[in-house]
Amino acid sequence: MRRTEPPPLATWMLEHLVPADHGDALAGDLLEDFRAGRSDSWYWRQTLSACGVSWAEGLRVRIPLVLFALVWSMLAPAWKVFIDGIISAPVFDRIWPYLGPFSILVALPGWIVLHSIFLWAGILVYYVANTSLGKALRSRDIKRAFVLAPLVFTPIYGAFFLWADLYWYSFFANAKLATTLLGQISDLQSLADVLRLPFFIALLCALWNLVPQSARASQALLAESLQLDSSAQAASFNLTPRIRRRSVAFMVGTGLINAMIAAFILCQLPPSHAPTLQSILVRATLYVGIGALAGLVGTYLHWHSPASPFRTNPPLPFSLFALVCAAGWVWVPSMGMFRQQISGLTALVAGIAAFFLTIGLRQSTYFLFAPATQLVDAPAHENFELFAESLASPRAEASGYFIAISLFATFAALATHQNLIAAALLASSTFLFAWKRTFVSSSSPSNRYRRPALRLALVVIPAVLVTAWALLDGVAHRNRVEAAAALAAAEAALAHEDASEQAQPQSSATGTGGYESLILWPFPEKKPIVAPIPLQSSFLTPGTTKPLIIRFDGAYWYLQPPDRRPGPTAHQAHGTPFSAEIRSINDLPLVMDAHQPLGASIPIARCGKIEVEIESRDNRSGSIEMAVLLTDASAPGKPDLYLGQKTIPSSQPKPVAIDLASGTRPASAMKPAPVIETLEFTVPEAAKIRKFNEITVMLLSDRDIDSAHVGPKIGVRQFQLFPR
Amino acid sequence: MTSRSYLGEFELMLLLAVVHLGDEAYGVPISRELEAHRGRDVSLGSVYAALERMEAKGLVESTLGDPTPERGGKAKRYFRITKEGLRQVHETRRVLTELWRKLPESIPADRNQKTAVWCLT
Repeated sequence: MRRTEPPPLATWMLEHLVPADHGDALAGDLLEDFRAGRSDSWYWRQTLSACGVSWAEGLRVRIPLVLFALVWSMLAPAWKVFIDGIISAPVFDRIWPYLGPFSILVALPGWIVLHSIFLWAGILVYYVANTSLGKALRSRDIKRAFVLAPLVFTPIYGAFFLWADLYWYSFFANAKLATTLLGQISDLQSLADVLRLPFFIALLCALWNLVPQSARASQALLAESLQLDSSAQAASFNLTPRIRRRSVAFMVGTGLINAMIAAFILCQLPPSHAPTLQSILVRATLYVGIGALAGLVGTYLHWHSPASPFRTNPPLPFSLFALVCAAGWVWVPSMGMFRQQISGLTALVAGIAAFFLTIGLRQSTYFLFAPATQLVDAPAHENFELFAESLASPRAEASGYFIAISLFATFAALATHQNLIAAALLASSTFLFAWKRTFVSSSSPSNRYRRPALRLALVVIPAVLVTAWALLDGVAHRNRVEAAAALAAAEAALAHEDASEQAQPQSSATGTGGYESLILWPFPEKKPIVAPIPLQSSFLTPGTTKPLIIRFDGAYWYLQPPDRRPGPTAHQAHGTPFSAEIRSINDLPLVMDAHQPLGASIPIARCGKIEVEIESRDNRSGSIEMAVLLTDASAPGKPDLYLGQKTIPSSQPKPVAIDLASGTRPASAMKPAPVIETLEFTVPEAAKIRKFNEITVMLLSDRDIDSAHVGPKIGVRQFQLFPR
Repeated sequence: MTSRSYLGEFELMLLLAVVHLGDEAYGVPISRELEAHRGRDVSLGSVYAALERMEAKGLVESTLGDPTPERGGKAKRYFRITKEGLRQVHETRRVLTELWRKLPESIPADRNQKTAVWCLT
């Protein structure tokens, strides 16, 4: 006999795993259908399907929330470093001893509060962002999220801490976070990710129920706010048109000026001479955010100031106004950076910003101003006459003349490198053009926010890319300027040296931040004059076994990755690696190359191996690798052949004598006695180049950070080329 | 200005079923109606999810009925199409009809017939 009750486990799943808003009706429907003759398997299928669908639907609704939690938790390592700075402040070291065993009662809540501030700020940002976009959130859920965040975070963080200490201790003990703010945010190493995970989970759990209300509920709330808006609009019409226009212009100008000030103060070029693309993109995104935030804050303060007519009678919601203007603010940082580089792109970016800003303003504030001019003022059809003299003559527009003259003046200003004037002129003409030609239509209440939000979303990515472009261009510009300044300073110092005939040791960077690259020419040794590079004809003769010996008389190149050769403005000096102290003053390690050009090309097929004889005096910790490159500089593109990489055995540090006064071994960068050694590199028979006329010895440091920033004390003595 | 959007296949079928069932449009009859015409099982969970989405868009509205013992004391949830829903059904129908009209009359009904038609011509 068939039973009348469905499987109890399936029913329990329906009641507990499907959201209650339609779970009851669904459970009732399934029960009704089951009692009408459906099978157990049908009931199970329907239950599992309902659970799957409801979970998928729940996740779909929360995609923006998950993305927000992900982005916000990216900031967690930076916050962690900030907190560590507070916790390790010397003042606490003085306080804790007084508290004795009770210090934990103060320290633990303090620690939780410090971490929770980050989560609370995230919840607040999420709430403000949703409210600004017209999505209603229940205040009860907000309060619940504020309470829930620390309650979820603390045990999760504790569990992660235990897990990391038990299983990954050796890794995390040596792992370190980046030292710069941008580095901490863009760091994707394990330590940073492990720090982010508890924040991400806690934020997700706290905000899980904080999804925006259904569209209908939102619309109801929006309708209420719009009723308020319409009454406010009615009130704002009591203001004279002149005051309305002036106030809107003032608010727009305030936001722009604030964004410009923030861009000027905060948006600086990266310190590195060769930043990575990743760091540039992160920095560009941050700068775009700074521009938008600064504009928002500035406008907010003036909008709500007691003197503002919009404080009591706003013609439109502030959030809508900010959303519209943000499409212009996001361009300000890139504009500022192009201006610093004296680039004509300043004007172009200003024009783009003005265009997007104007379109949004025109569409959102149409009710404040007179209707826009129609694109074509065609005469009405019924009044149209066939005679030539009755044709409507085009109306003269002063704005057209202004735009034409402004454009002409813009190009004139660009030609004389007056970029700020050009930017102001182009922005004015673009503003006027967009204001006159933007098609205005009354939009539905829901579209009032949707359209500016969509426009802002579309504008942000190009703005980030343009800012990244400005940063890259700025770094290149700065490198060129510094190299030119360094060269000029070096030439001036040389001239001064010649005049006074005194040998003065040169400072490395003359206060300009360092050279882009450096070429070090060894002092010419006193030796009998010999024929240039004795490329014995016997070496090229088949059957010869006698090696060709080439004494090194080339230059030492000091570079930073990704450069492979010194730039055209590289600083040139005389000295040897032993006498010169060359170091990198930015974050990038130093690469030293010994570069030997040959008098003639040597066929690869004739050369079996190369022995490089070096003199090593380096005594810093860590080893140094040597790599050899053969280059055919006569071929287009200068192709090269890599012969491999070997560790220099003598690069390992040797202990120096004990200082009798202190009884310790002083750390020394130089060995007590130089070590001569020879490294052998085999030349492959088949290679991508057929001949070579340059030998480059690359010295790559496999050391700690401090030693990798210093040029190694190793010199090349000679090469021996053995016939094959 | 009303935004112009078109219904998906499942949404259109659901709305037509709701219109057809009238005052008796709740989960069980709606799913049976769809099963009868589609010829395969319909997940009630998907039906409710789609109807809720459409309710959020303002295409349908729902009311709760009285709880009955044969449903374990659970109330029925009746759905009714709104004016906007009806407008979108008509709009989708108009577009589909226009698109169908533009197709040649000898349109094959399935793959086998298609092969036959092309062989003959």
